[in-house]
Amino acid sequence: MKFLPLIWSGLWRKPGRTILILLQVAVAFGLFGVLQGMKTGMDEAVAKVRADLLLVVPSAVGGTPLPLADLQQLRAIRGVKEVTYAGGLAGTYQKPTQVVGVLAIEPSDAWLTLVPEIFTVSAEDLKALRKTRTGALITADIGKKYGWHVGDRIALTTSTLQSNGSGTWYFDIVGMVTDHEPGESGLIVTSYAYLDAARALDKGTVRNFYVVVSDPKQAAAMADTIDRTFVNSSSSTRTFSLHENAEQAVQSIGDLNFAIRSIVSAVLLAIVFATATMTMQTVRERAPELAVLKTVGFGNRAVFLLVATEALLVCIVASLLGLALAWIAFPLAGKYVPGLSMPVQVVMLGVVGAVFVALLSVTLPALRAARLNVIDALAGR
Amino acid sequence: MNFLRQLSVLLRMNLLGLPQRMGLVCTTVIGVTCAVGVLVSMLAMGVGARQQAMGNVRPDRVTLLSVGALGPAQSSIPKNMAVLIPDLPGIRRNAKGDPIVVPQASVFMTARRKLSGTPVGFPIFGSGMRLIDYTPELVLTGGRMFRPGLPELIASNYCARQYQQFGVGDTRTIQGRNWRVVGNFDLGHTGGTCVVYADVDTVLSAFGRDSYNQINVMLQSPATFNQLVDAIKANPVLRVEARHEADLVAQNMQQVDGILNFVSYFIGAILALAATIGAANSLYAVVDSRRRELATLRAVGFSGLPIVVSILSEAIILALPGALIGAGLAWLFFNGRAANPFGFQFHLVVTSSLTLLGVTWALCMGLIGGLLPAVRAARVPVTVALRAT
Repeated sequence: MKFLPLIWSGLWRKPGRTILILLQVAVAFGLFGVLQGMKTGMDEAVAKVRADLLLVVPSAVGGTPLPLADLQQLRAIRGVKEVTYAGGLAGTYQKPTQVVGVLAIEPSDAWLTLVPEIFTVSAEDLKALRKTRTGALITADIGKKYGWHVGDRIALTTSTLQSNGSGTWYFDIVGMVTDHEPGESGLIVTSYAYLDAARALDKGTVRNFYVVVSDPKQAAAMADTIDRTFVNSSSSTRTFSLHENAEQAVQSIGDLNFAIRSIVSAVLLAIVFATATMTMQTVRERAPELAVLKTVGFGNRAVFLLVATEALLVCIVASLLGLALAWIAFPLAGKYVPGLSMPVQVVMLGVVGAVFVALLSVTLPALRAARLNVIDALAGR
Repeated sequence: MNFLRQLSVLLRMNLLGLPQRMGLVCTTVIGVTCAVGVLVSMLAMGVGARQQAMGNVRPDRVTLLSVGALGPAQSSIPKNMAVLIPDLPGIRRNAKGDPIVVPQASVFMTARRKLSGTPVGFPIFGSGMRLIDYTPELVLTGGRMFRPGLPELIASNYCARQYQQFGVGDTRTIQGRNWRVVGNFDLGHTGGTCVVYADVDTVLSAFGRDSYNQINVMLQSPATFNQLVDAIKANPVLRVEARHEADLVAQNMQQVDGILNFVSYFIGAILALAATIGAANSLYAVVDSRRRELATLRAVGFSGLPIVVSILSEAIILALPGALIGAGLAWLFFNGRAANPFGFQFHLVVTSSLTLLGVTWALCMGLIGGLLPAVRAARVPVTVALRAT
């Protein structure tokens, strides 16, 4: 503890240099934080997805949709706890480039708890949807984007024709939903009954079923059972758990881990080298001062520790600063990369990395300081 | 003249002094190497993806979509409208004299990977028989073409290699019926995706549909595009829009391109910032250790500007090899390496323009990093510096 002032004055001997090194290491660890946060964020998101929820979709996208009548068969399968369904259409608002997805759900209470991490809706909003035939719930994002408010009536242009031959659909906004699906900010929710009654084609069909199974461990087996049930019907199904799907989505980003590891190693390499040369330079410049310390009785080990502690301090402070910067930057990057998060493990990993960098880069200069020949150094040789 | 003479003397001094400051020199070079290496490798992904997507594109290929459709997925062209297309002007004819018009309907299904058994999506393109004339880059490497009216498929070699049940002779169950894989093919540059073709009308009836997604036509020459568009406009029954192949491909690429570019420049910029700070720091150290020398120079009549320029030049001279090594390493390790983000595979391509971009970034890092130390060097107070020990 009594050496603290000594270390402190050593740090601020050349304030510009210390601050620049601090900044450089902080920037590097900021990047580390963002990359690592991206990875853990995705892993966490996958782990959070319900394992007992199965999605039943047509075996071929672009083929015939599933008949609503399958609902009874699905409910009859043993181990199925709850089934609900959704239809949908794609429309545009005012301009052909402003795409709005319409999710048409059965406004049952199943939606209150179905996929809370993606989609949350309150009981009142569901009730409002049940009451108004042409009702729609909107996300806050899309409301802001197009200036929509509860009570407004909006018109969407779609390629799904109504029985009267028109492709224009009207919706009365009656409430809000929260939708965390990345990239789907353009979504509104309406009731399936309205969609199915008004459309000219594909009546009595759904885009997909949602099946909650009683035992999440049996989810994969249940998925196979469901697909076998419909394999010989005119509309065969493909069933998968949302959890499995999320895992695959992450896998499909593929070499993410490899890329993150390569980039982080490149950064750490550069940082190790920069701190090492800078500490070496400092030791060289301070040779006479270090020699004085030795003259007044500091041992080799004390000098070693003195130099090493300075570098350690800089690296640890810088890494914390960098991680804090990354944490501040998350909401900005969140627009492009969903699910960023910084759990304690990432912070720990960062600090351990900083200590590692410091030790790796400081050993040589500190050794040189410890082995300093007092007479030579004082003579300026 | 005086300026140039002073500058050349100073530069020679700086360069001759480099070997004595190897550590500081390496800090700059390694920092720039890492920054440029990472930037170039990441951008090489985007270039590779673009090259693969655009590799087969021809200016004489046009796709007709229904009016207002953003892409084939939202487009629907009924059969009774499609029969009018071959009569339009500007369309090339094949050796037999038939117009090269290929109606297409796409369906997406799931296959299983050979190794892991995990499900993965692939498209089936139901296609008209003029497909052979429309896509000359499609080369059958095994088996034969599918025949009209039969449940037969041909699959690209990527499917056959990576996914189960796509070799010639395999059968797949689609909509409760057995479909036979009768051929495997290569598709020019698009080697990294699974593409399956079948007869369009067989696909439509299997999936209970009666409209195509798109109609592909080959023009007599790229110049006859307007002729075709005018003829479509003149006929109110034809509610279709003509889009160049390049247009649609570029539109498909937009999202992936945007993400790749954002990530590359974001990470590249952070690394460049770190490298710039490192360069500034090491140049500061250089200037500090040369205070007396610089003060002496000022005392014997060297003026400030040549000193500033000489330090800046040193920074740039150190950044340049960093950039070249970085781009070189990126080329060595990653050029031609397969990447498969977002479920499709392509090869990274390190081009000379990417290298040039890396060099430009490196020059900026050198300039910005060298600026403050250079100014400091020129401002060394002569008397104080000379008196200092």
